[in-house]
Amino acid sequence: MVLSQKLHEVFKGTVERITGPRTVSAFKEKGVLSVSEFVIAGDNLVAKCPTWSWEAGEQSKRKSYLPASKQYLITRNVPCLRRASSVEEEYDAAGGEFLLGGDDDDDDNDGWLATHGMPKGTKSVDDEVLPSMESLDIRKEGAIKSIPSYFGGEEEDDIPDMADYKDSENFIEADPASSATLQSTYLVATEPEDDNILRTRTYDISITYDKYYQTPRVWLTGYDERRCPLQPELVFEDVSQDHARKTVTIEDHPHMPGKHASVHPCRHGAVMKKIIDVLISRGVEPEVDKYLFLFLKFIASVVPTIEYDYTMDFDLGSSSH
Amino acid sequence: YTAIRDPGRILQFDPFQSLVDEGFWHRLSSLKLDSLGLDQSPISLTGFYAPCSHSEVSNRLTLLAESLPPDPKQLESPLERVHGNRNRCPVPGTLYNMNTLESFKALDRVSLLKMEAQKVEEDSAVLLRFLVISFADLKKWNFLHWFAFPAVVLDPPAMILNIQSAKDALNQDEGQSLSAVMNEWRNSSLTTDVPFFLIIISSSHATVRHLKDWEACQHDGQKLLFGFYDPSCRATNPGWPLRNYLAFISLRYNIGKIQFFCYREKHGFADLGLSLVGEAAVSPPQDWREPQNIPKAVGWQPKPKNIRLAESMDPERLAVSAA
Repeated sequence: MVLSQKLHEVFKGTVERITGPRTVSAFKEKGVLSVSEFVIAGDNLVAKCPTWSWEAGEQSKRKSYLPASKQYLITRNVPCLRRASSVEEEYDAAGGEFLLGGDDDDDDNDGWLATHGMPKGTKSVDDEVLPSMESLDIRKEGAIKSIPSYFGGEEEDDIPDMADYKDSENFIEADPASSATLQSTYLVATEPEDDNILRTRTYDISITYDKYYQTPRVWLTGYDERRCPLQPELVFEDVSQDHARKTVTIEDHPHMPGKHASVHPCRHGAVMKKIIDVLISRGVEPEVDKYLFLFLKFIASVVPTIEYDYTMDFDLGSSSH
Repeated sequence: YTAIRDPGRILQFDPFQSLVDEGFWHRLSSLKLDSLGLDQSPISLTGFYAPCSHSEVSNRLTLLAESLPPDPKQLESPLERVHGNRNRCPVPGTLYNMNTLESFKALDRVSLLKMEAQKVEEDSAVLLRFLVISFADLKKWNFLHWFAFPAVVLDPPAMILNIQSAKDALNQDEGQSLSAVMNEWRNSSLTTDVPFFLIIISSSHATVRHLKDWEACQHDGQKLLFGFYDPSCRATNPGWPLRNYLAFISLRYNIGKIQFFCYREKHGFADLGLSLVGEAAVSPPQDWREPQNIPKAVGWQPKPKNIRLAESMDPERLAVSAA
């Protein structure tokens, strides 16, 4: 962790300890949430999109200002069928603007709402090195093919041959932490008998309440095609390149062990305020229990390829009822 | 999409996938260091799964920090600890964590699998179980582990008579009614994590009942389907839990042709387009009823996995990255 980041964490922690949680609503004025509003918005998300659940998390890490059983929200096993760079290329090709549009970038030079893709011709070497989308190829061919021969003779095939296993000693698979073997683990080298199954990265996405910024905060826990934990750095491949390493950083999760990628919340309030203003200008009265739906749409511009946004169909404010 | 009607085809099940959350290894490490020491006794676990909720990604059995018993000495982990979370149907399992790579390799995986499969046969309330063997190298923070989902072998194998999307198998009224009752079942904290159930369809009206009510309701409807939460997303094959389920139904109720319902969801709600309705022919061998019989079992995943967590667990590396 960079020193300045570390110092800021210490500062933030101290402020969080000595200041009480927000109790007065400033949702429309500042785009932030009080603790109870976070719970209300979370309850609504869980009710409307039941793949999300509240978690209690580790007892030692619980925040006293949140209900014990509602410490953070999580949705698991969310597919990420391709890397963000490929989406950006398509996006550039289409020449469109992203989601909420970056109409006033002047005072938003962090690029939160900026148009999305990279200019053509600046494609980095990394794109070349990235493995081609095997999963996409399968998709293009249409349906997932039928079951492979692996199931055929039951006991012979289901139980790996013990003798073979003892002789070859090849069961310690390629080191996922080493960048040298990244590509081979990324591609499906390990289970050839299974290669008709669509293989894709998946994510567990969690939303915590950040007391300092008084906004929700999104965390990404990635798994590779073999369902092994993804090194947090590799998560950057699934993040819009405008945000990788800038607004998306790797930090300690407040409730879970280990380092996780997170969309830094320092601009969340301001961005949410803008979204809310846009809605109000269109005659929609935003309701606080819809906050997380709006919030997830905004997060979708940061992580364009992770398919968690199930909230599109829901009304966002009272006038649309 | 047409229904597959082929009397000669063996029913093939999509194997269960597994995933271990990093928190599980953190907690196992502290258990080893703080209390278990060199004790290699099997540890009871609770894994979690949910029905498939995406047309392209199967759901998996997940081990979390909470999968380990809170008190390591109390090795029976009671399932009632966690209840009512729709995204976490509890599945009982056993962990054999070895202290050395040699003892990991020396484990008799065939016998272990048989033992677990026997538990399935003995306790019909738990048709789904899993088994993990592991070697937790706490010096290098490497976690070698190998999953098995024990399934009793049907000999002769179950044959598939037909299988199709539930949407195609049912008329529109039946489908709507079935979706509604399944959403209700999934929304009630009493039943949301009960993965095996009965569907009765009568006059286009569907009801869900507990499996134990089979005797009472077998003459109630025109159609009786054995339902289960299916983690698989495959359009033509049921998931792994059906395997023991069929064996159990055949043995307990003596049914030769079993109609089943693979329940799947989209975005957390019933999706009959993704769900399957099928019929299988099962003929249990006579020797199953003999007391000394030990069933043949399958279910080891093709390969073990090795997870390296030095980045997040090694105190020295953590100190360096924090500096």
